[in-house]
Amino acid sequence: MTNKKSFTLNKYFSLTKGSIMESLSFRFSMLITVIGNLIYLIVIYYLWKAIYASSSSEVVNGMTFHDTMIYLVLALALFNFMECFIVWSIGRNFQTGQIALELIKPMDYQVFCFFANSGQYLISFFTTFLPTLIIVYLITKGGFALSINLIYFILSVILAIVINFCVDFFVGVICFYTESVWGVNIMKEVVVALLSGASIPLAFFPDRLRTIVNFLPFQAIYNSPLKILIDKSLETKDYITIIGFQIFWVAIMILISRIFWNVSKRIITVNGG
Amino acid sequence: MDNKRGLGFYIHLYKIILTQDLKSKMSYRADFIISTIGMVFTNVSGFITFWILFQNFPSIAGWNYYEMLFLYGFSLLALTPVQCFFDNNWNLRSHIYTGDFIKYCLRPINLFFYYMSEVFDMKGIGQFFFGTGTLYYAWNKLGIPFTLKNLILLIISFISASLFMIALMNLAAATNFWLMGSTFVMIFAFKFKDYARYPVKIFSRVFRFIFTFIIPIAFVAYYPSLFFLKPDEIPPLTYLSPFLGMIFFYISYKVWMKGALSYSGTGS
Amino acid sequence: MDSIIKIDHITKEFKTLNRRVGLKGSFLDLFSRDYKVLKAVNDISMEIKQGEIVGYLGPNGAGKSTTIKMMTGVLEPTCGEILVNGRVPYKNRAKNSENIGVVFGQRSQLWWALPAIESFRILKEIYRIDDKTYKDNLEYFDALVGASDLYYKTVRQMSLGQRTLCDILASFLHNPSVVFLDEPTIGLDVSMKGKIRELIKVLNHERGTTVILTTHDMGDVDALCNRIVIIDKGTILYDNHIENLRKYFGAYRTIRFMFNKHGASKENETVENTMMEIDTLLKEEFSGAKSLSVGMDEKWIDVLLNEDEVPMMKIINCIQERKKIVDMTLQEISTESVIKKIYEGGLE
Repeated sequence: MTNKKSFTLNKYFSLTKGSIMESLSFRFSMLITVIGNLIYLIVIYYLWKAIYASSSSEVVNGMTFHDTMIYLVLALALFNFMECFIVWSIGRNFQTGQIALELIKPMDYQVFCFFANSGQYLISFFTTFLPTLIIVYLITKGGFALSINLIYFILSVILAIVINFCVDFFVGVICFYTESVWGVNIMKEVVVALLSGASIPLAFFPDRLRTIVNFLPFQAIYNSPLKILIDKSLETKDYITIIGFQIFWVAIMILISRIFWNVSKRIITVNGG
Repeated sequence: MDNKRGLGFYIHLYKIILTQDLKSKMSYRADFIISTIGMVFTNVSGFITFWILFQNFPSIAGWNYYEMLFLYGFSLLALTPVQCFFDNNWNLRSHIYTGDFIKYCLRPINLFFYYMSEVFDMKGIGQFFFGTGTLYYAWNKLGIPFTLKNLILLIISFISASLFMIALMNLAAATNFWLMGSTFVMIFAFKFKDYARYPVKIFSRVFRFIFTFIIPIAFVAYYPSLFFLKPDEIPPLTYLSPFLGMIFFYISYKVWMKGALSYSGTGS
Repeated sequence: MDSIIKIDHITKEFKTLNRRVGLKGSFLDLFSRDYKVLKAVNDISMEIKQGEIVGYLGPNGAGKSTTIKMMTGVLEPTCGEILVNGRVPYKNRAKNSENIGVVFGQRSQLWWALPAIESFRILKEIYRIDDKTYKDNLEYFDALVGASDLYYKTVRQMSLGQRTLCDILASFLHNPSVVFLDEPTIGLDVSMKGKIRELIKVLNHERGTTVILTTHDMGDVDALCNRIVIIDKGTILYDNHIENLRKYFGAYRTIRFMFNKHGASKENETVENTMMEIDTLLKEEFSGAKSLSVGMDEKWIDVLLNEDEVPMMKIINCIQERKKIVDMTLQEISTESVIKKIYEGGLE
């Protein structure tokens, strides 16, 4: 039995390897992407510098300029790290009819999608996220604590990846009904970027808006792991609460996306791909 | 039949080719509606971002909420032409990849014109209306007078501002002729549209220079907006922007054409 | 008759980048000038007269499409001169395009999502065709191939043959003096090939349009061209009347036979044995046919014959009397095999 299980896993890991190779062949594009991100950082640096310069106090909503920058830089790193093009690949696979072939493969389609993207996750973890994290830590001379919270952080990131993946997968399946991939994808990107706290820290949101956002899964993608990493005032029980919430969302999102997938699968068979 | 193909001929032809494109797009109505909503989503989210920021801070570098909204609305307007009329740049990669690009080189009309005329992107219309609304709202709140002079100024500065983003995207797209599959350069360039909505004053001297003369996004909204927002301190660059816009567009057109002709030989 | 196309010692060189490996390498490639020069076309000259149909042949990568691109003005020759209708094409690309038509088989230039007639209407505007010429041409096309049935069909929904047909019609719409057809019959079935060949022939004949045709199918050449130009590795290998070449492919036919699933005529026989058996049989029966030869290709047994020496039907009958034929095809002669023979035969 164990043999069989490891064989099953190998099947998925070969997908990981394939997607690593594909990623590496775009090294030049990665260089441009890095420069693009640097320019983005420069822009937001000056923007927030100007914002804080215009403010009467140094601390706004419990965050200094320093805190905000660390938050936004890491949010960007996290965003690049978790960025996957699942909506596109599912949408396009559906439109070309390719998806019918994927269904024949002896794999669960959702798991297949996840592992086919996992190489991307691994690569970007080492090429973007980790270097950014180290650089930020060195520049800020310990602007965030590195201790037991790292373990919680890693756990939290993994949960965030799964939630992010499920959101993407769910939105990808929406494309079965809409014949538009671009429109659906851009809506998802906008909603996630805004409501997850990736473009402005949630601390700046007006109270009522923040209450609503806290009841949505999106803040569990960026805000939760970043909070664990940056906020020095958290205690063990806070960590556990945050992660508990994430686990709750993981369960909900997996459930919802799987149900939605199983319902929508019929469209493929009806359309004949 | 006159021998020279003049402006009148091209306008007539543009209408005809465009109508055909719209006709064939009618069969994808759901896509059009959803894409337009998606476009408006991104615009609204920019709006909300400003709103949230100004809930916490009264002004940014001496620019108040309505001035920033003016800048934002103006930038959305100035980005509409590149979205609507030059969207075929995004398909350049696949036209080159499949070799279909050659067909544009075989007609007795301007190659750049023919290529761009083939696609009209309707989702830019949503952005146009959202930008107009935002601009109108900010304009009213700021109490800028509605005079004929201002209206003419607005139209001139809108056209010249849009030329900068068009030129930037032409240059980015032209890289496809030399580098295989360089969509990432276009994505890189396209992100700059988001930075056009901030006053260039917030940057340090070096980056002010870069965003003015190297990647001239400051002309997409900042410099032209100064006509209306800070009429007492209009810098010479604001007056120059229509000319710079035309020059920049012309350069991008030349580079694009050079790329197109040097490519079409090599691809089979 | 006057020359409509004059090609005078043209050469086209391409520079290809020697690509480096690694991230640093691809970065350096952006600035490097480390090129390798490749001569796609090497010092070729020819003249084409008004009203000719010229078959322009050669293997892939021989320089065919490079020459055509230079004639259409898309590409500038490295040295040498071209005149089309008395104009230098690359200096007057747009002007030159008014008087030429170009068709790429398998690559439609029509608007995919629209009925063909809508594409024609756009072309009418692009080429500024006057109403009368346009109307006359549409009626003429209809009389020729019954094209009006296709006018209202969306290009996307057409078969490859119908699409090629419309593409060819589109290229003749503005009454060009020269039309370039790049593999117009590729991928088409026999009847469609025939239809398209007929169309080209009639248009050439009745309009006096000069046609330059590239193809891999000797059938096209046989049906259409009086003159053939063969290019290989950038240089012209042959430029002459088709009759001089006909002996290389004209009366020769290859018939392929299959005798059962395994290729052999009986269960316990190998294909090789069957081949030898057929070989001796045919040699005995038709001892006068010197060029008769038998070969094999996996399950198939190929018989090459010259119809001037022995009629094809005689061979088939002879084999059929002795063996049960499961399948049989007549091989088309490809330009490649002709070129190969030219090389072998040292033709001048």
